[in-house]
Amino acid sequence: MHISDGILAPEWCLVWFAIAIPFIAVGVWQIKRGTKENASYLPMLAMMGAVVFVISVWHIPVPVSGSCSHPIGTPMSAIIVGPFPTVVLGAIALFFQAFFGHGGLTTLGANVVSMGIVGTFSGYLLYVLLRKVNLPLWLAAGMAGFVGAVLCYLTTALQLALSLNPGSVLSHWAIYTVGYMPTQLPLAVAEFVFTVGIVQYIADRRPDLLAKKLWGGVSSA
Amino acid sequence: MLDRFTKTALVLLVVITAIILIIAYLGYIGDQGKMKGIGPIVEKHAASTVANVAPVSLVPAITDLVGKFWGFTIAGIVAGFIVGYLWTGLFRRREDA
Repeated sequence: MHISDGILAPEWCLVWFAIAIPFIAVGVWQIKRGTKENASYLPMLAMMGAVVFVISVWHIPVPVSGSCSHPIGTPMSAIIVGPFPTVVLGAIALFFQAFFGHGGLTTLGANVVSMGIVGTFSGYLLYVLLRKVNLPLWLAAGMAGFVGAVLCYLTTALQLALSLNPGSVLSHWAIYTVGYMPTQLPLAVAEFVFTVGIVQYIADRRPDLLAKKLWGGVSSA
Repeated sequence: MLDRFTKTALVLLVVITAIILIIAYLGYIGDQGKMKGIGPIVEKHAASTVANVAPVSLVPAITDLVGKFWGFTIAGIVAGFIVGYLWTGLFRRREDA
């Protein structure tokens, strides 16, 4: 989902930045509030930042498709530190990944929208919804990871189609999605597994560290 | 002595690494050593549908200087130390208390 510089039209780059910036601003505000309320919040954020950076850049080979790709990690981070702060972590991770040949600076807004916003909020909202209907924690967390990963790549495919093929957005969206899915679906299953493992572990040992408020990222004991 | 969590984590690490190595090897054989990232593949295909669109690099990539292997190895080590240090602080302290 790392779109490189030079691929998207300048006006679309601006659109994606315009969408991403308010989410980042709210995230920064919540991080400031969270660090004042809970001493464990900042180290947890730093740890999640490093985890999201590694997870979303490390290519895992998928033999069924003969190619490789990576999970995104943001649904898991959203469950632990909250969705808006996760957008900030995603933006920071994507900025540094540009220096590893993944993504770009002009496309940072687009990449933040796909991985940081769509991946984060779709996963987090599904997690909240499934928990509200009393599904077990492991299933809710796992489904959040799976759905967040898939929707992230659907968004990237849409971003490519909107910018490059404005006359036939739907058909090219489908084509790019079909290109991504043979590799991404097995990795979405991997995202399910590690999201379950980490969220369940934290829930068992430090449940106070899990984000509890729907729109907040502040973990309160 | 290793505690239960550390033992479980080490076993999981070995199992996950083994699984990744096996599927990497299978993919390497199946695709004759190519195994490219799906992102650049789709991106290149998308760019080919339009004239004068191609990926460019506006920032110097660390991986261009030291290679992908060392670039990602160093990034993984640094991130691993950060995660390990903070993980210990967040979870071990509570267990010891």
